[in-house]
Amino acid sequence: MAKPPAEIMKGTLDLLVLKTLELEPRHGVGVADRIRQISNGTFIVKPGSLFPALHRLEEEGFIAGQWSETPEGRRAKYYRITGAGQRQLASEKKNWARIVLAVGLILESE
Amino acid sequence: MRLTAWIASVWRTCFRSGAVERDLDDEMRATVDLLADRYVAGGMNPAEARRAALVELGGVEQVKEQVREHRLAAPLETILLDLRYAWRTLWKAPSFAIVVLATLALGIGANTAIFSVVHAMLLSPLPYRDADRLIFVWSDMTDEGYPRAPLSGPELDDLRARSKTCAAFGAIWANTAALTGDDHPEQLRIGRVTDDFFNVLGAEAALGRTFRAEDARPGAAPTILLSWPVFERRYGADPSLVGRRILVNDRPTTVVGVMPRSFRLLLPPDSSVPDDLQAFQPFPAAMTQGPRGQQFLRVVGRMRPAVTVDQARADIDGVASTISRAFTEYGASGRRFVTVGLQSDDVREIRPALVALFAGVGILLLIACVNVASLLIARAAARRSEIALRLALGAARVRIVRQCLIEGLLLASLGAVAGLAAGWCALRAVTVVRPDALSRIELASIDWPVALFTFGIAIAWGVLFSMAPLTEIYAPDLLPELQRTNRQVDTLRDGVRRTLVVIQMALSVVLLVCAGLLVHTLMRVQNVDPGFRADDALTFRVAIPMQRYRPIAGFNTFARNLDEALRRIPGVQGVGAISHLPYDDLPNWGTPYLADAAMDDASAPNADARAVTPGLMETMGLQLQEGRFFTEADQPGQRPSIIVDDKLAARVWPGRSAIGQHLGVDPGSTGRPTVNMTVVGVVKHVRLRSLVADLTEQIYFPERLILRNPMAYVVRSSRDPAALAADVRAAIAALDPNLPIYDVRPLHTYVDGARAARRFTALLAAGFAVVALLLACVGVYGVMAYAVTRRRREFGVRLALGADPSRLAVAILRDGLTLAIAGALIGVLGAAAAGSLLRAQLYGVAPYDPPSFLITVGMLGVTCLLASWIPARRALAASPMEALRTE
Repeated sequence: MAKPPAEIMKGTLDLLVLKTLELEPRHGVGVADRIRQISNGTFIVKPGSLFPALHRLEEEGFIAGQWSETPEGRRAKYYRITGAGQRQLASEKKNWARIVLAVGLILESE
Repeated sequence: MRLTAWIASVWRTCFRSGAVERDLDDEMRATVDLLADRYVAGGMNPAEARRAALVELGGVEQVKEQVREHRLAAPLETILLDLRYAWRTLWKAPSFAIVVLATLALGIGANTAIFSVVHAMLLSPLPYRDADRLIFVWSDMTDEGYPRAPLSGPELDDLRARSKTCAAFGAIWANTAALTGDDHPEQLRIGRVTDDFFNVLGAEAALGRTFRAEDARPGAAPTILLSWPVFERRYGADPSLVGRRILVNDRPTTVVGVMPRSFRLLLPPDSSVPDDLQAFQPFPAAMTQGPRGQQFLRVVGRMRPAVTVDQARADIDGVASTISRAFTEYGASGRRFVTVGLQSDDVREIRPALVALFAGVGILLLIACVNVASLLIARAAARRSEIALRLALGAARVRIVRQCLIEGLLLASLGAVAGLAAGWCALRAVTVVRPDALSRIELASIDWPVALFTFGIAIAWGVLFSMAPLTEIYAPDLLPELQRTNRQVDTLRDGVRRTLVVIQMALSVVLLVCAGLLVHTLMRVQNVDPGFRADDALTFRVAIPMQRYRPIAGFNTFARNLDEALRRIPGVQGVGAISHLPYDDLPNWGTPYLADAAMDDASAPNADARAVTPGLMETMGLQLQEGRFFTEADQPGQRPSIIVDDKLAARVWPGRSAIGQHLGVDPGSTGRPTVNMTVVGVVKHVRLRSLVADLTEQIYFPERLILRNPMAYVVRSSRDPAALAADVRAAIAALDPNLPIYDVRPLHTYVDGARAARRFTALLAAGFAVVALLLACVGVYGVMAYAVTRRRREFGVRLALGADPSRLAVAILRDGLTLAIAGALIGVLGAAAAGSLLRAQLYGVAPYDPPSFLITVGMLGVTCLLASWIPARRALAASPMEALRTE
């Protein structure tokens, strides 16, 4: 690995979790794998910080957990995104775009 | 969205925590399994794979803890945890919990009860529309012996016509009327009112209406307004009664309405208008034409909006000076009015006593809370190692402070609940012992404001006393604390607790001395000689219907027959009748008197006037000093005779005999002393209105000459009052089956009533003081027992080395006594200050009354010795070997 894993910016973990769950339900380990995979290993999420986020998102009704079986035959808790979660994801995406635009403007100035 | 999620989270935390935790456990286990599977697939053996998976996860318990901390309800959850912990610690030490809760229940309960009374009597507005706009007007006749006297009809008219600040004035006069026409004749206490009285007061009828102007017109059909209790008891609450006619004083009278069940007439206690009048009738409008000197109206005024009592007073004083100039009847001194706010005047007499009691229970609560704080400190000391361990393991101090706070608040909340229950019981007890004059106490109840007050003080004290153990825990630096010897730390902590105990002692001394002063005053009042014999005498009132016994000769014959019939009852030693009994609540009757016909009769002094039958003075046991009592010979046609008291005789004819002297008096209440009467007897002054202060002279008219109706009969007999009352009723029914008698009660109950207010405050104060002493005693016991337990080892060594046990015991007792002496010294100073504040409540007792102080200090010393004796004996009873093995 060329670069060391980067720290996830504060407040963006929720966005990343919702995004990974957008297409299909996943269990906790699955979410961590997916984030690492699509960020090409830039972001490594430790389960220690992932599970609190999952549980809080579940409490807020953005995702819903359900026990199910993995392809290997293990029982695991799968999370799927809810309607409210879809809306939240959309608004967080928009928010993120604004941040990126704003940060970009600042960096490009001068 | 966010809120509902939070509520759902709270709900899960509170009620589904088991399921939520199990689910979290399962998820962690499944996650570890998933991770471990990968390591196994990578070639590890299962045990190593499992360990690697745990490392990758970051520890099952740690992750779980983080999940918990990030829950929406997380702050609440830790509080719940602390609460559960606090509850378990309390549960593990039930004796500690019981002592604390009992202490708080006593302190908070007493406060709740007294606050509910204060709230009902001092703080709540009177139950009338815009009650703060009501005023009460007296005429000021201080020079004649009546600082607060009623007004006359013409004066009411003057106020109505001339006052600019008041919208209306109404008036009332308490009287009686007979309900007849069926088998149960009944005498009612009624209020005679002006037609607008209820409008002025701002009270509506529950059924029908109150009075209107046409009810008072000349020739109007008689009308009556009933109270709810009479309506319910006598007429079965039948609403069709309104508009029907009933017989009142043998005249058909239309019932115009019924007042609500809750209606009470709350006028000043010295206005002689009872709270619970049973019915009302209108005055004829012509009543305002009566003579200016005939003062009988109790006047209530309603101020216009935005007028203050001071403005109304200035305005009414102006009316007084105008009429003083306009009417010669007032003479040189003129007429003065006293204008007071109805609300503040109603509670004028009881306020100082209530405020004193409220202060007393405040001190009691302080003592109770000091006890609880002291107990918590002692417990915190025992838990010091536990807390030190938690701090060493990295627990945040905030967390420990919060836990102390939650423990304190839990105790305080439990204490508040126990206090509410105790307060409810105490209020019931207070209502039972309350004197008749304080019937407004019945309005007191544990309602929302009272419950809020209770929880308020409980929470405030909870926060304060939960901070007490922090002095233990919050050592600025842990290390020196650990390096100190146990003994040094104990001495430091002991200082705090000892100071608390001394404060407790001082506070209980203040309460005990105040209670002692009040009890001593009560004893003095018990021993006051009222001037007549109150025991073995039954009294009742009867109104002889004038319509049925006409002309006046027939009335007198009937009265004499009644006298005779009563005398014939077996066991009766004397019978007499009087217009006003001592300490009754009838409107007083006074007469101006003049010894010198040449004097200005407008400045004539006033005397208390009563009409009595022959035999009354002998029956009541009045003491004749000169001349004779009345006889049957004092009747119309003879020279009119009167009897005066020694006070009047000494004032008018100093150094001379009063017998045979002439006195100008006013038996017909015309306002002027116009009738000349001859003094035939002088009796010793009788305390008729107040046991402690009665300054007006007394004049007795012969009833055969000056007719009063109704009269109160006094029947002297040592027989059981109930059996005697039955015989009296039978004797009267034999004469006239349609004649109601009422107010049947032993004479001594009137005297008891006059003492009741003092007995009430003395009883309550003594109760509080005893509770305070008990609590202080528990405080001393706690400190001494703790100190002795700590020094057991030392005592063991000293006993083993041959120390004299009795000398050790003396040392311990001396320790306890030192606390008592310090507390007593401070307390005596405080009590001296409190005693002078109580001065108005005292009679015949100085604020620095030596017996009260000596007894208090003695009681404190004895209880303190007892409280130290028990732990001392326990320490010395232990065998040296056992003592050495402890710790």
